[in-house]
Amino acid sequence: MTESLMNLWHPIASAEDLPYRHIFQGQLLGRELAVWRADDDFVNVWENRCLHRGTRLSIGRSDGLELRCQYHGWRYANRSAGCTYIPAHPADAPARTICNRTFPSVERYGLIWSGEEPTGEPPEIAALENAETLLLRNIAVNAPLNLVLGHLANYRFSITGDPDNLATTSMDYQDGCSLSLTATCDGKKSTVVFFVQPVDSNRSVIRGVLSNSPEGAERLLTLRHHSAELSRLRDIVELEALDGPSLEPMVATIEQVPIALPEITTPSGRKAALRVQVLRKWATAEGVVGLELESIGEPLPTHQPGAHIDVHLPNGLVRQYSLTNAPGEGSLYRLGVKLEADSRGGSACLHETVKEGDVLAISEPRNNFPLRRDAVKTILIAGGIGVTPLLSMAQTLRNNKLDYELHYFAQTDGHLAFPEVLNELGEAVVLHLGLSPDETSQALTALLAGPQPAMHIYVCGPGPMLEATRRIASEADWPDEAIHFEYFKNTIEVDSSSSFEVSLARSALTLEVPSGKTILEVLRDNGIALMSSCEQGACGTCEVTVIEGEPEHQDVYLNDSEKLAGQRIMTCVSRAKSPRLVLDI
Amino acid sequence: MKLLANPEVCTNAAILDLWHPLVPTSEIQVGVVRELSLLGQAVSYLSTSPDIYRAWRTDPATPVGTASEPSSVTEGLPILDRYGYLWTSLGVPNGDLFDIPEYDEPDRRNIHAATIGVHCSAPRAIENFLDMGHFPYVHTGVLGIEPHTEVVDYDVQIDADSNELWATQCLFFQPMAAATSTAGEMVGYTYRVPHPYCSLLYKTSPLDESRMDVIGLFVRSVGPDRIEAHMILSLIDDSNTDSFIRRFQQSIFAQDKPILENQNPKLLPLDPRAETPIRSDRSAIAYRRWLSDLGVTYGVIPEGRSND
Amino acid sequence: MIKIYDYILSVNCYKQRLMMSILDVPFESIPIDFYPGWEHKSEEFKKINPLGHIPVIDDDGFMLRDAHAILVYLASKYDPTGLWYPTNNPELIGETAQWMLFAEGTTNTASAARLHVNLGYEFDIEACRAGAHRLFRVLEEHLWFREQENLGWVCSGEQPTIADIAIFPDVILSEEGGVARIDYPALRRWTDRVKRIPGFVPMPGIFPVGDARPISHEGEANA
Repeated sequence: MTESLMNLWHPIASAEDLPYRHIFQGQLLGRELAVWRADDDFVNVWENRCLHRGTRLSIGRSDGLELRCQYHGWRYANRSAGCTYIPAHPADAPARTICNRTFPSVERYGLIWSGEEPTGEPPEIAALENAETLLLRNIAVNAPLNLVLGHLANYRFSITGDPDNLATTSMDYQDGCSLSLTATCDGKKSTVVFFVQPVDSNRSVIRGVLSNSPEGAERLLTLRHHSAELSRLRDIVELEALDGPSLEPMVATIEQVPIALPEITTPSGRKAALRVQVLRKWATAEGVVGLELESIGEPLPTHQPGAHIDVHLPNGLVRQYSLTNAPGEGSLYRLGVKLEADSRGGSACLHETVKEGDVLAISEPRNNFPLRRDAVKTILIAGGIGVTPLLSMAQTLRNNKLDYELHYFAQTDGHLAFPEVLNELGEAVVLHLGLSPDETSQALTALLAGPQPAMHIYVCGPGPMLEATRRIASEADWPDEAIHFEYFKNTIEVDSSSSFEVSLARSALTLEVPSGKTILEVLRDNGIALMSSCEQGACGTCEVTVIEGEPEHQDVYLNDSEKLAGQRIMTCVSRAKSPRLVLDI
Repeated sequence: MKLLANPEVCTNAAILDLWHPLVPTSEIQVGVVRELSLLGQAVSYLSTSPDIYRAWRTDPATPVGTASEPSSVTEGLPILDRYGYLWTSLGVPNGDLFDIPEYDEPDRRNIHAATIGVHCSAPRAIENFLDMGHFPYVHTGVLGIEPHTEVVDYDVQIDADSNELWATQCLFFQPMAAATSTAGEMVGYTYRVPHPYCSLLYKTSPLDESRMDVIGLFVRSVGPDRIEAHMILSLIDDSNTDSFIRRFQQSIFAQDKPILENQNPKLLPLDPRAETPIRSDRSAIAYRRWLSDLGVTYGVIPEGRSND
Repeated sequence: MIKIYDYILSVNCYKQRLMMSILDVPFESIPIDFYPGWEHKSEEFKKINPLGHIPVIDDDGFMLRDAHAILVYLASKYDPTGLWYPTNNPELIGETAQWMLFAEGTTNTASAARLHVNLGYEFDIEACRAGAHRLFRVLEEHLWFREQENLGWVCSGEQPTIADIAIFPDVILSEEGGVARIDYPALRRWTDRVKRIPGFVPMPGIFPVGDARPISHEGEANA
């Protein structure tokens, strides 16, 4: 019986149980659920445990866009349930695999429906297919589903709400977890459909829906009448349940932390995992086209502020574009694409060829430019189209009520991308229009004066501007860790850590691991499928055996003697001290 | 104290063969038999005269509150009076209890802060004690505050001789690190786990930089998922009353209790893929591996088993 | 300045600290070594309250004991709006008294269970838990019907009263005594509303809730 219950849709809450900024605690077939309505009205149904240490998400907080776990403040985005921020490591982007288990949600008849592994759709009940239904008060019962249904079959109520004038009832239908009764009295009829939610082996919730809601004062009378009658029924059922056999609680399986699926690589080494459709394309500024991409089928994965996607263009080229919207907002990705004069066909293709309604292949978001949320103040410096990742950051900082400024350097007013977003950000935006290189340097010097501890700067723009910023910041005594650059061209490295070679003993392959790339990434780029999970050197999944060479351990998984022995390495974070490592793969 | 119905009885030698804390000796009345639950078993204890204690497995025929050990008890349990608590073992302890040299220093304030009951497993409580990342969220304004949420890297080692777990070079920004603090600062901590269900934390004394204040959590596992947590302090402090210090510790622990009680599964999973550790969880990662290596199966879900 | 004989982990003392914070009344805590000192049972303290309970307040010489009596006093004296203890409305004041007595029930069930689990108090834990659930069921239905009338507090007014303050701590800390609230969604929404009252302060064991959603121009608000 339980297997088939797993494949059905069940009501787990009423729509009114989900005011904004509240996290509802529910349970279905033994599994606790955290249910919350985001500000965009999407109803999230998640397993009620944070992936980190199993803390109930229902004791956390919702800000309408993200859910924050009460224990360590981890943040999970609306819709995707992906982790967007881990406060203990504010400078790191959480691994994409950190994603809560979600369940589907459908709103119907004033109820929220979900299921373990539901097939098809929630039930359609003809009697309820009208706008006049009335949802009765939900009644939690400490009794199993069958017992509750059995008693409900004999439920009697009054159409007028008078408990001394119960109507004659007849059953319209009954199935495994619901039934419908119609009462007749003095020519009047009233139909009630009861859905019984199987919470646990010995717990259920009765969710009744009247097919026709009475008007005015009668509405409340009716609700009170049914609440009283159902409470009496509950008391009887619970007494009977106590005499029944004692039932073991249902145990929901908790899945292991997912291993990132090995990627099947294309020659370029990057897989375009997602298909999206161009929802909207418009000229957002002089020479800049805005694109809104929505998913076809599966919901879009979480992105973090600063993240970018690979877009696989119809002409065969692959280009990276930053996502401009903040996490948790809507179910689409918004990009800004500047038409480059010396374009080899990438931006030209998006400007001229791609149309609304077209389908594009894109990668999942990657984040090499993560945003810290623990700065006392954040300064964002955008040069031209470099504003795109910074817009996502600015909105995120605004949503989290953190102090920031966005300095946008552009040629003219008409060159400002996404002016509607800039308007919303209000006074936090400072425009610098039409400045010459010298004037730009002066402006940068002014805004970079007076570094304070725990302030952070994020810069994105053309190469010369980044170099100027680097120089000015250094002269103004900004610490290196406080300034973060994103270069829009692949070849420039940001990182000054090592580059070395890895030789793969079993694959007869020698690969270069450049600075800024991990061994794991290089292997995957070259078709070697390695599993990973946390991508922080903590869980041990991406471990590989070292045959030769001296690893430079940066993980926390191996103990000291294991590190000293040098025969194992965590490929997601560790590097090499020697010029070459020979790995046993 | 009433016993809980049907606690699961421990048969795990790695845990049975250890000393476990029963109650603070200050709370033991002379001449009254009391009982409690340890590792799922009923244990009775008695003080026959000041500082003389006896403990034995409860004789079901003996009512609580009587004045002496029943004659039916042929073998008492081994006992220790250490650090202000009565300790016993339900197995064969291999040697003495772990040592806390600071406790015996003549100018120390040794304080039993409280014993609080929590519906969680002992290892969950120990892991929470070792964790710093929760300070700004659970102990807001006291042990941590946003935006100072970063946990910088620290060291974790197993001491080869004593087989104790140590986490050193731990550093965290604290607005009110001790009951006596007046301003926020980076505070250095060292954590020590000398016993699967006991942990100690060392921080530099505000009064003497060369010495450490010690705070301890000694857990009595009532059942696999229920504990009585004893909190002990050994401080250099010449100005605050015992009462003041106790209140501070009690309010800190009272903030942790609902978190511990809202973690699932209650038993600590030792499989590295059961939960998602991050770099700042070094001590937790090491603690779970250490418990596996010791062969602990009580209060945990051993590696390779699914939770159920 | 009001002095309160206080213990940080006492639910009844918290009710006063909460009320005084909401009413913006400054106060001084005189800590009582409740546990493990049992100072409230000492001969010294019994001179202050012969029943050996806290909280007790001392408002410039005026002494008052009993959590719910103190709430009545604080609201009567320090609330210029007169809404927290609405003496000018006979029906509302009757309701307030009714629900204050209900709070005696929640204290003696849910909070008693908490004292048993936390500090080993000798109570019949199963009876306490069953009693708490009986009361929570009544309150759940009551609050659900309030929401049907677009109201959100225990009494019929549009503003909370001391009855909400008296009941809230027993409810919000019920899980410490093993009384879960998963079956009471209306009760859980009400606790969020209480946490959003301006001037709300938590005690150890209570977590803050986030801000309510700003009211949109269509006038939709948070429940």
